Amino acid sequence: MLWNLLALHQIGQRTISTASHRHFKNKLPEKHKLFQEDDGIPLYLKGGIADALLHRATMILTVGGRAYAIYQLAVASFPNKGDKKQNTTYSHS
Amino acid sequence: MAHQSHAYHMVKPSPWPLTGALSALLMTSGLAMWFHFYSTTLLMLGLLTNTLTMYQWWRDVMRESTYQGHHTPPVQKGLRYGMILFITSEVFFFAGFFWAFYHSSLAPTPQLGGHWPPTGITPLNPLEVPLLNTSVLLASGVSITWAHHSLMENNRNQMIQALLITILLGLYFTLLQASEYFESPFTISDGIYGSTFFVATGFHGLHVIIGSTFLTICLIRQLMFHFTSKHHFGFEAAAWYWHFVDVVWLFLYVSIYWWGS
Repeated sequence: MLWNLLALHQIGQRTISTASHRHFKNKLPEKHKLFQEDDGIPLYLKGGIADALLHRATMILTVGGRAYAIYQLAVASFPNKGDKKQNTTYSHS
Repeated sequence: MAHQSHAYHMVKPSPWPLTGALSALLMTSGLAMWFHFYSTTLLMLGLLTNTLTMYQWWRDVMRESTYQGHHTPPVQKGLRYGMILFITSEVFFFAGFFWAFYHSSLAPTPQLGGHWPPTGITPLNPLEVPLLNTSVLLASGVSITWAHHSLMENNRNQMIQALLITILLGLYFTLLQASEYFESPFTISDGIYGSTFFVATGFHGLHVIIGSTFLTICLIRQLMFHFTSKHHFGFEAAAWYWHFVDVVWLFLYVSIYWWGS
């Protein structure tokens, strides 16, 4: 029983130590070639279609969000035009 | 390609500073909307756009350095200064909260009972989970140094293992601290004790999460062969930040948990 456990332990160790070599190939040469290409594409779009999608999504969300924030500010600035039915008055005694 | 006669990096125009600034606007106005009108839409939008900005900005820095080779020695020196200045600013940030703690605890007011901890507060036992937390962070300091030396000696597997151990220890600290927060007999609204305790330890916990995230990015980069034995400033910056987080905890432990109990 113990011998089996020991053998399992050794196999486990061996598998773990070679796993990183198996799963991760060095893709740097390809990356170097891709990002050093003299094609005039800006860096933040140079990675391909995913870059463009992410950039567009970020722009839409930030610019759209800015408009929404200004809108909310406008709504908050004029409480009578909002949904409140009563005026809240604060008296200082 | 454009040719330059100097070793510095003239960064190309980028949209991320703009989106970062806009996301800051959304986060701050989002907080106001949440506090006053109970709506979290703007805040969530702000957090999302902030995350998108950070991801793309730092992805571009990795492209400029690892893929395009812009980080020459003078550029790296500038980055080192930058990281040191940033960490220094964080030191001052925490100094403020320590000042607040000592201001209230060195001269406890009559309203607190004239002593520290104040009346009604049962502080956490510093020799239980807080001590474990201390040992966890100290051990993570050792493992990250092991990772660094492995990297400098070109020992890929050991570097990965040591960095993984560091990240797991960081996670363990966060989980322990979270359970402490749940089990704590006092809350943030329990007077000045609660305020100083949870604001100081809370911001520290946030920095542990940030540091753990930074280290995880480094682990992914190491797996993708980004670091060399001579050039790995991203990892060094993460290590400096991690040691800073560790030191802040030691001050917290000695001041708030131990002396303050």
